[in-house]
Amino acid sequence: MCIVECENVRKIYRKGTQEVVALDGVSLKIKKGEFLALAGPSGSGKTTLFNVLGGLDRVDEGCVILDGDELNQLTDSRLAELRLRKIGIIFQSFNLIPVLSALENVEFVMLLQGIPPAERNRKAKELLGDVGLGGLYARRPAELSGGQQQRVAVARALAGNPAIVLADEPTANLDSQTGARLLALMKEMNQTRKVTFIFSTHDRMVMEYASRLVHIKDGRIRDE
Amino acid sequence: MLLQLAWRNIWRNPRRTILILAAVTIAVWSMVFSSALMRGIADQMVRNGIATLTGHIQIHQQGFRDDPSAAMHMKNPTELKQTLQDHLPPGALFSARVRTNAVASNARHSGGVTLVGIDPDREKKLSFVSSSIISGNYLDAEDPYGIIIGTSLMNSLKTRVGNKLVVMAQDTRQKMSSRAFRITGEYRAELEATEKEFVFITLPAAQNLLKMDEALSEICIVLPDREKVRETAAALARILPKDHEILAWQEMLPLVTATLRLYESIIYLWYLVAFTAMAFGLVNTFLMAVLERIREFGLLRALGMKSRWIIQGVMTESFFLLVIGIALGNALGAISVIGLSHTGIDLSVFAGGTQYWGLPKIIYPVLLASDAILVNGIVLVLGLLVSGYPALKASHFTPVEAMAHT
Amino acid sequence: MSLYSYMAWRNIWRNPRRSLLTMGAIAFATVILIFMLSLQFGNYSTIIDSVVKMRTGHLQVQATGYQENRDIHLAVADPSQVAATLDRAPEVSGFTFRAHAFALVSSDNRSYGTVVTGISDRELTTSSLARTISEGRFLTEDEGAQALVGNILAKNLRVKPGDEVALLGQGLDGSVAATIVTVRGILSSGQDQFDRVSFYIPLPYFQELFGMGEAVHEIVVIAERLEDVAGLKQRLEEEVAGDTGRALRVLDWKELSPGLLEAITLDLMTGFLFYIVLIVVVAFSISNTFIMAIFERKKELGLMLALGSRPARLTGILFLEYGMLTTLGLAAGILIGCLVTLYFGAYGIQIPGMAEMARHYGVPERVFPQLSFLSVGIGSGLVVGISLCTSLIPVWKVRRLRPVPAMAEG
Ligand SMILES: Nc1ncnc2c1ncn2[C@@H]1O[C@H](COP(=O)(O)OP(=O)(O)OP(=O)(O)O)[C@@H](O)[C@H]1O
Ligand SMILES: [Mg+2]
Repeated sequence: MCIVECENVRKIYRKGTQEVVALDGVSLKIKKGEFLALAGPSGSGKTTLFNVLGGLDRVDEGCVILDGDELNQLTDSRLAELRLRKIGIIFQSFNLIPVLSALENVEFVMLLQGIPPAERNRKAKELLGDVGLGGLYARRPAELSGGQQQRVAVARALAGNPAIVLADEPTANLDSQTGARLLALMKEMNQTRKVTFIFSTHDRMVMEYASRLVHIKDGRIRDE
Repeated sequence: MLLQLAWRNIWRNPRRTILILAAVTIAVWSMVFSSALMRGIADQMVRNGIATLTGHIQIHQQGFRDDPSAAMHMKNPTELKQTLQDHLPPGALFSARVRTNAVASNARHSGGVTLVGIDPDREKKLSFVSSSIISGNYLDAEDPYGIIIGTSLMNSLKTRVGNKLVVMAQDTRQKMSSRAFRITGEYRAELEATEKEFVFITLPAAQNLLKMDEALSEICIVLPDREKVRETAAALARILPKDHEILAWQEMLPLVTATLRLYESIIYLWYLVAFTAMAFGLVNTFLMAVLERIREFGLLRALGMKSRWIIQGVMTESFFLLVIGIALGNALGAISVIGLSHTGIDLSVFAGGTQYWGLPKIIYPVLLASDAILVNGIVLVLGLLVSGYPALKASHFTPVEAMAHT
Repeated sequence: MSLYSYMAWRNIWRNPRRSLLTMGAIAFATVILIFMLSLQFGNYSTIIDSVVKMRTGHLQVQATGYQENRDIHLAVADPSQVAATLDRAPEVSGFTFRAHAFALVSSDNRSYGTVVTGISDRELTTSSLARTISEGRFLTEDEGAQALVGNILAKNLRVKPGDEVALLGQGLDGSVAATIVTVRGILSSGQDQFDRVSFYIPLPYFQELFGMGEAVHEIVVIAERLEDVAGLKQRLEEEVAGDTGRALRVLDWKELSPGLLEAITLDLMTGFLFYIVLIVVVAFSISNTFIMAIFERKKELGLMLALGSRPARLTGILFLEYGMLTTLGLAAGILIGCLVTLYFGAYGIQIPGMAEMARHYGVPERVFPQLSFLSVGIGSGLVVGISLCTSLIPVWKVRRLRPVPAMAEG
């Protein structure tokens, strides 16, 4: 059963008369529970594909179906709803809201979902414990290291019980050891919680963790 | 180089610069325009006051002001007129009058008035009467029975031009003396109070009625230059006999003088308020600009830039901003003043209100150079002063602090 | 505190200096507005009070046409009938009768034409006339030929209490009305235009002198409260004016001193023009803070959108933030504004040039601002309004924020 399906997706950036074809006919099927790595050189279209899959951006041609919803058909506000309920997002950097503590950042998504405070608090603490940040609830993002911040982001991505977690180069700002630990954590979450993970990287060591590896170049899927 | 750098820095964030420029511009405009309006009102009040019989300088018998009766008169008019003829600056006008309290009545109505005997030809040049006639004719020097009254009095006496009016007043021998006049003209004044108060007959008719012979109650002088009034009044006081009282308009129109002073206070208070409102924004904007560039200042310091230079740099930016704002504000102010200089601001919708406060019906703004200079000076000097705070702040960032800042 | 308000609160203190300056600007505008409005309203009520208490009363019953013509013949023939109605009305705090006639007033060597007014003993319950006595004493109805004279008129006539003054006028029937009265007291109201003409004699004596019988020209009514005036006027109109077939007419203080209300409106409007300019300057002064709250945080707002916040949510948080800034500034402004106003309300303010003006308009030489719900309400309302307007632009901008480009910035 597929959680994500994209068919012949094209995304073109226009700047004046210049056109950049960022995605050039991408078709991809991702099954539930996969731990998929998207690999490709800089500028190949990884981020663009993530934005499209995550409903952050719209395609120019083709279609993206996420858990049964055809994204192009949804309004902005329905897209926001979909992101909230079904997708967890982890960015390369700048993942956390600066004025909120680690715990509050994790709670934030559940707040948007309307989960009652007591449950929110309990679940956020549990998630932070799972990612190994048990004692650091009250820290602000500025008081955490880069690796710790990314772990909070993993916890936050899982907080909303998403069907799929999209992580665009989550390890790019980390040293390789910390990066490997983050990936191990994500893999663990993938296995214990049965959440689909898609992440992009150009780090060979990180690709090792993937159960499926997809290469992208010049906006096209090259091989698997 | 420093100037160029400052100029570019201002336009790093055009939106922010434009917003604060708008604040400075509006503040300066409001200062310029409000002082022009107030000065316009004040100027017009002075002019109206002066034209309404006051003139620039008046000469009376000592004591006339406290007791404006026929008994208080100047007995040697020919001598007096000669002295004035000889000593007043060229272009000065003067006119002799008789003035006393009287009762005006017809068959059914009567009212208290001020009776003024005038020399129609001389009066024409220095007061409002001849130019304010709205029906009938101005006084004829040869007509001993003609009388001119204001619209308001005309209404309350229920009479009209051509009708008879009896005037009764106390003569120099303290006897009531009365005579019938025929209304030859009706005048309209800026203030209703004026229309109600003054009735005009010829000077000989008044002297005759009050048995004054050639004597006068007052001489009214209008000078070619309003600024010379106090000087001329002082000079006259030295020449004329001691039993004569010489008054400048400032003393004769205490209410107008008070209004001028009040308006001046209001103008300065407004400068303060408008500046303060603007200063909050100015300091805030520069503080933002400085905090945003905290790394840059740290770097400059690391490179060995003295803090004095950093202060200078930020102050130069503030200087540019203030100068542009001031220029725009002045330009807007000048445009609004010039734009209104013909039509004025018509307050006749509030006729009752303007009457009550003694304001002119139409206000023509008058921009004084001294006000404009003061406004620009205040905004520039105080503006630079308050931007000293963000400038100081900028000069105090240590390189380490700055680099740690994100 | 909900997480949203907590976020808004934290955001304010991210840059405390900026927030404090912004609140300072808001507080400054509030202080100025509250103080100035209190000053204006205080002045108006003093002026209205002085006019009402000294001259017109809240309401007058007159013969139709008397207000416009001041004709001695247009009199209320039977004032006792109106008095009976007034006695029954609970809103009436006091009423009195007055009659006026023009007369020539002469002392030994000076004569002035003025309006002589006949007053009854009821004046004491109605107007502040008795309080303006500066020499001698107030007059009583049963003492006949005596007079109260304004101090300037007294000076012009060169008379003092105890001196005699001749009156010469025209009675109702056209006959000569002449008599001699003794000056009993001198009145100093502080208003030159009033003290120059005031001349009072007892009402019964006046009626006899001018052949008026029982008739009077004005029945002056003071209501318990200013708010009662409109209702009272309507009732009187039905009962009094209706009964007499419109021969009588009820006028309120606005009609009795035409121009007063317009003068107040004009002054108020002028004030408001200044206030509007002030708040526009303040709006521009604070707009940078408001706009910065978005431009500085585009990334963060983009992240929140990416996480699934609806744009309306962001708008809500921003509004909360602006609302807190405004509320804090406003609260400080109201507090300081009230304290400043109360202080000057107790000690008064002297503005150069004000004293002479005050003598003319009959207000105290010091002005006393009067703190009221109205001045605080209007002042704060204007500030809240302008802050709301200022926040609309950034809030509107945030609605157009898209997550991807927003996060790519900065
Ligand atoms: N907003 C944009 N406007 C114009 N062109 C863009 C924009 N965003 C991306 N592109 C272009 O689209 C192509 C794909 O970009 P994308 O960011 O998806 O690459 P990427 O694989 O994520 O690269 P990296 O590994 O460096 O992050 C690139 O050629 C890029 O220049
Ligand atoms: Mg990328």
